[in-house]
Amino acid sequence: MDIDVDRTGAVAVVAPKGELDMVVSDRLKRMLAELIEGGQPRVVVDLAGVAYIDSSGMGALVAAMKQARAAGGDVRLCGLQDDVRAIFEMTRLSKAMAIHPSRSDALASWG
Amino acid sequence: MRQVLSMTSDPAELARMRAWLRGELADGSLPRETCAQLLVAVGELCTNAIKHAYGGRAGQPIEVAVERGPDRIQIEVEDWGVPFDPERYVAPDLDAVPDHGLGLFLARTIADGFSWDTARAGGTRWTLIKYLPGRPPGASQTRSARERE
Repeated sequence: MDIDVDRTGAVAVVAPKGELDMVVSDRLKRMLAELIEGGQPRVVVDLAGVAYIDSSGMGALVAAMKQARAAGGDVRLCGLQDDVRAIFEMTRLSKAMAIHPSRSDALASWG
Repeated sequence: MRQVLSMTSDPAELARMRAWLRGELADGSLPRETCAQLLVAVGELCTNAIKHAYGGRAGQPIEVAVERGPDRIQIEVEDWGVPFDPERYVAPDLDAVPDHGLGLFLARTIADGFSWDTARAGGTRWTLIKYLPGRPPGASQTRSARERE
């Protein structure tokens, strides 16, 4: 799986592509932790290219969200496909995390 | 007809399992979104076997079996590692927004029937049932009864 990262702006954008299972989640978790610890606690994770997510994928996102919020930022999501959104709703993470329709909406949410 | 996939506890095998299961479920008897959720449920059980039953040791056997009944699809995930201990299982507190421990919760939520068997020599056999839409549980018995009349 590819994970694109754009850290040029004030908000970093991370875009994994493919299936977010335990193999990719460990990579994503490390990547997000490095971004946040490196002084970029404002992160958008664009899930438009993710067709499958399991509990390890969601765990990576939640862990990063908590770490980012503790550092004064947040991890905000966008581009969820229907199947991925259904899993977020089952676990109620759709209420706990900020979810936006598109990347531009997510970036604009920081004003 | 029972179809079986043998895999190992290497995390990279999860993608192969999903590709196989996607093919097994692709006969149109289940809605597409239900198939997608079953991939997650079975993925969680396999991930559980890798992480907990085998403690992350690669190369250990896991079997996934799909069996169709007149009213249902039954999927079994079997390992031969440390058996699941329900006494030690703590259901996740969703209000606390947990970053782990959601796997069994998801599998259980997605399935219509969910059980496990640890009464074997070792390991756990998880059984997950999904009823086919429009065919209520017991449809097969009803049909047999009618045929006898």
